Amino acid sequence: MTANQLALFGKSKAMEGMIDDFLDRISEGGLRFEHGISAFVDSGLSERWEEKVAQMRELEREGNQLRRTIETHLYTEMLIPEFRGDVLSLLEDLNFLLGLTEDIFLAFTVESPVINEPFKNDFKLLVATAVKTIESAVLAGRAFFRNIAAVRDHQGKISFYEDECDQISTRLKRDIFESDLGLDVKMHLRYFVDKIDSLANEAEDVGEWLAIYSIKRDL
Amino acid sequence: MDFTVLIFLSSGLFLGWSLGANDAANVFGTAVGSRMIRFTTAAAICSVFLILGAVISGAGAAHGLGKLGSLNALPGAFMAAFSAALTVYWMTKASLPVSTTQAVVGAIIGWNWFSGSITDMSALFKILGTWVACPILGAVFGALLYKMTVKAIGWANLHLLRLDLYTRLGLIVAGAFGSYSLGANNIGNVMGVFVSSSPFTDFSIGNLATISSVQQLFLVGAIAIGVGVFTYSKRVMMMVGEGLMPLSPVAAWVVVIAQSIVLFLFSSITLEHFLASKGLPTIPLIPVSSSQAVVGAVIGIGLLKGGKGIRWKSLGSIASGWVTTPIIAAILCFIALFFLQNVFNQEVYKEVRYVLEEAVITHLEKEGVAMEKFSSLQDREVIGGVRFRDLLREQMMLDGETEDRIITAAELFPLHVSEVALQNLDRDYLTAGQAAAVKRLTGRQFQHRWQLSDALSDQSTEWKRKEDNKLNKPFNQHLKEQLAYLYGLFEASGTQVSSGD
Repeated sequence: MTANQLALFGKSKAMEGMIDDFLDRISEGGLRFEHGISAFVDSGLSERWEEKVAQMRELEREGNQLRRTIETHLYTEMLIPEFRGDVLSLLEDLNFLLGLTEDIFLAFTVESPVINEPFKNDFKLLVATAVKTIESAVLAGRAFFRNIAAVRDHQGKISFYEDECDQISTRLKRDIFESDLGLDVKMHLRYFVDKIDSLANEAEDVGEWLAIYSIKRDL
Repeated sequence: MDFTVLIFLSSGLFLGWSLGANDAANVFGTAVGSRMIRFTTAAAICSVFLILGAVISGAGAAHGLGKLGSLNALPGAFMAAFSAALTVYWMTKASLPVSTTQAVVGAIIGWNWFSGSITDMSALFKILGTWVACPILGAVFGALLYKMTVKAIGWANLHLLRLDLYTRLGLIVAGAFGSYSLGANNIGNVMGVFVSSSPFTDFSIGNLATISSVQQLFLVGAIAIGVGVFTYSKRVMMMVGEGLMPLSPVAAWVVVIAQSIVLFLFSSITLEHFLASKGLPTIPLIPVSSSQAVVGAVIGIGLLKGGKGIRWKSLGSIASGWVTTPIIAAILCFIALFFLQNVFNQEVYKEVRYVLEEAVITHLEKEGVAMEKFSSLQDREVIGGVRFRDLLREQMMLDGETEDRIITAAELFPLHVSEVALQNLDRDYLTAGQAAAVKRLTGRQFQHRWQLSDALSDQSTEWKRKEDNKLNKPFNQHLKEQLAYLYGLFEASGTQVSSGD
């Protein structure tokens, strides 16, 4: 056995830590997203908003770096040969969620949509519910590594929140289009509603894939 | 150093190489097949531990010459080893895990057939039984252990990476132990027959240790096995670990452990003795083979999962490999012996003579065998076991056990407890009382093995066979090996009529 392979046994714990760190970043990204959008809805492009965008960029960068490190280690050290592919897909999908939150932040920064008072609460509610799908996806991801039986419970929650998101976004879009706003503003707001709702859809996809990975992991 | 010994040794090395190429799959096949351990890592661990097993534990059993020890001429043993090795090589080339021991037994049957010696039918039935019982036991233990392991893992809630780490460690530890016992158990078959003609001499490393010629010989044999593992074992490993059924890492570990448990429970005299000494019921001992137990364990797990993943075609090939291995080895050995004897003019066997003289008849009658029917055979010297058996049968059909007793007792095996032979006596292998008893027989000559055995038991109770029961089995087994060692040591060379043509 080479020294490299002996070292591998010591590295296993470090890898567990890296995966936990990565999942923490996704979870934190969701919370920062919620706080950021809430700040935008309340006060538009403010200093606080810029601060949130910078934090989100940093998080996304860290998440990407962690994902790459984990992927490299999984392959070079031949860890979990049976589930390596599934773990890579899971990490990429979760990282995509983080990327999507950053995209939405950028879109808000560049396009600066005007959110009128009647829609503010529903916008915040939509974001909060979408973030719950992300959190549930992160919990399901953790369960995939630690407690396979719990994946199903978390997946159920993702589906529930995604359904909630659909209802809120439909209601919000209906209210937007029933308002007196110009068509350009209505379409602009609809774009943002759809963009935020897409977060929940992507999280639901993560949950569905996780359910399949779990069947495979069922030894 | 005798050059011909080196030539004969080459077939032992070839057999070692074949053994390594085929049997390493039993201990590391599933680990490599499930991609948990790299082939080179597995080959390195396997080689190191099997060399340790062969040199440390194998040499301890050097007095038991392995199965080929029953062949009474070195060229014959050379050809039997060569035939077995070639057969195992062919099977390895076809990626089939087979039993090297069964190939050796097949080759010995070929030799028996050629030399007119009696084939122990129980050896054949043992092989047949192994083909059926061993995979079934492997499957039952594999399935049970797999279910228990899955439950335990579910209960422990380990992190995926932690489970991966533990499984990997488990595979390495189980593989290392398996390799150690592979070396210890099989080196006798590979090199045992060459012990008496070892070209090496003992040497000391300062005052630290002495490496005996047997250990050096076994080291060379073990290196040959290790080279076999490195150069040619991957294809059989992939067949066991992947070709038969794709295995999860946990299942890979279960297979190795299930195989070890089957081998331990059903072939350990030590365990039987331990259970019997505690007044517990014993587990019946049956012949087992690791190749067959491994395949059984894989199939057992496959069936537990519904049987969908099992590649039945591969299983069919493997099973046909089991059946054909001893047959091919026997036929090959027979043909090869014919050439070795008639083309190369080598003595491939020594004729064995049988005679029912007065002493033999008295000895057998004392043991309760009715001999009056065989009076017409008295004092008639018969060449060849099969011929002698046929003559016995012409007089009267006996049960197998009695027939064996008469044949064994009548076999001429001149022994001479000479001063020269006594100098070579390994006193560490005998107790002080046993060694003293042997010494008291200095100068005595015997015509049959049992005469030496009787003379020794008259000299010392330590040479007396104990009553046949499970508790005394290890003692009697050891006594039998010690006596076999003495027969080899005191065999009066040149007194037997040699013949090869």
